[in-house]
Amino acid sequence: MKLFSVLGLTAVLASGLSGTAQADQLADIKARGKLICGTLGTAEPFSFQHPQTRQIVGYDVDICQKVADALGVALELKGIAVEARIPELLQGRVDILAANLGYTPERAQQIDFSHSYFVSQQKLLTTKDSGITTLEGLAGKKVTAIKGSSSEQGVRRLIPTAETVTFQDTSSAFLALAQDKVDAFCGSELILVKLAKQSKVPMLVIEKSLFVEPWGLGLRKGEAAFKDQVNGVLGKLASSGELDTIFGKWLGEGTAFNIKRDYKVEEIKS
Amino acid sequence: MGYVFDLGSVLNGKYLDWFLIGLATTLALTMAAWCLAMAMGIILTLVRMIPFPPLGWFVALYVEYHRNVPLLVQIFVWYFGVPSLLPRPARQWINAHHGEFLLAAIALGLAAAAYVAEDIRSGIRSIPKAQYESARSIGFGYLGAMGYVVLPQALRIAVPPLINQTLLLFKNTSLAMAIGVGELTYRTREVESYTFKTFEAFAVATAIYLAISFGIMALGSWSGHRLKLETR
Repeated sequence: MKLFSVLGLTAVLASGLSGTAQADQLADIKARGKLICGTLGTAEPFSFQHPQTRQIVGYDVDICQKVADALGVALELKGIAVEARIPELLQGRVDILAANLGYTPERAQQIDFSHSYFVSQQKLLTTKDSGITTLEGLAGKKVTAIKGSSSEQGVRRLIPTAETVTFQDTSSAFLALAQDKVDAFCGSELILVKLAKQSKVPMLVIEKSLFVEPWGLGLRKGEAAFKDQVNGVLGKLASSGELDTIFGKWLGEGTAFNIKRDYKVEEIKS
Repeated sequence: MGYVFDLGSVLNGKYLDWFLIGLATTLALTMAAWCLAMAMGIILTLVRMIPFPPLGWFVALYVEYHRNVPLLVQIFVWYFGVPSLLPRPARQWINAHHGEFLLAAIALGLAAAAYVAEDIRSGIRSIPKAQYESARSIGFGYLGAMGYVVLPQALRIAVPPLINQTLLLFKNTSLAMAIGVGELTYRTREVESYTFKTFEAFAVATAIYLAISFGIMALGSWSGHRLKLETR
């Protein structure tokens, strides 16, 4: 029982700390002079290390930079792991998340989402040898996803007969698929297309999306001023055409992904 | 917005089931790896006692590999590396029969075997050579001297460190999470990613790990008293 009281005390302390930070986050950020943005650093083309400059760059990073510019503060990037995203935000170690954060109702109970700044098609990658070409063919099969990702929860929700096996990172999940340890890999289409292209084992991405996932910037709850400001920045980026420029730079023509922006920046509804 | 510590939120419905399934898998993995570790540890000790130097070198190499390469790497080698050397039908059989559990048990068991072999060897070395020589001089053969005089004392001495290895092995099973074995830590992370109740999920896992570790330690201290030889 002593253990629980110690843990409880830790929890109270942690909430006390974030409680003071929540007085007015927007004012805090401006006073501090920098915006701390949590980003993955391992997800091309959203947030990854540039091979030459060794800087973390990408679509998520550019969006965060725009938010920082609008606030008139410097941007500080903090690398975070997929499953640590929400705890890092809740504990006040980062101000905002730009980290492939797909909207789910469970997440929306814990944190606030900005308007959508990207919409991801969640698809499934299989090996050509497996003979699986449709989503229906996955019933009762083993499907992998990154631990703690919304893809994992999507598979459980939409293919309930499938057995999910999760790994810490993309490379382990991909290797498990390449070695036939699992039958399919659920993730964002962008990641899967790139993996299929690089794979030595012939692979294909199942045409139909399992689900569509709007991504928002993650914010702590109860920070209305900060949230309005962020949504204002996103709206301005969309109307001025700057968002198209950023999108084109990382995902458009001439990149490995070659896709067009076909979504709006708008409030995410569950 | 204060943080409400609510154990009930992770100890009900499917989350409770996940913890229980995880606990069962952790225990099964510990047992399987422990049996392999003991069997392999005893074999290694016996092989090392054969007076033929290359065999001794082989055991030394085995022990050094398993003690010096990070356990997580060994698990990856067994999970991703070894099966790719096998013929395709064998690979398919492993993949279809929860290969991750089997391969994790092998990796954990073989690594623990290196420590077990060292512990038993220390036990044997702690018995003065004079006892062996005295036994031989009053007519015991090699096997008789080892079996009646040296080993009964040596194994008693080796029991506490062996209990310690069991404790380490039990905790090391959490590394199997990395290759998708649904043991306690893996399930805890799942509960956490669904509920975002980080404190609660890990509090439950911590309590379970502690309870079982204390159980193993109690067994160790009981057997320590029980097996102690009266010395004058």
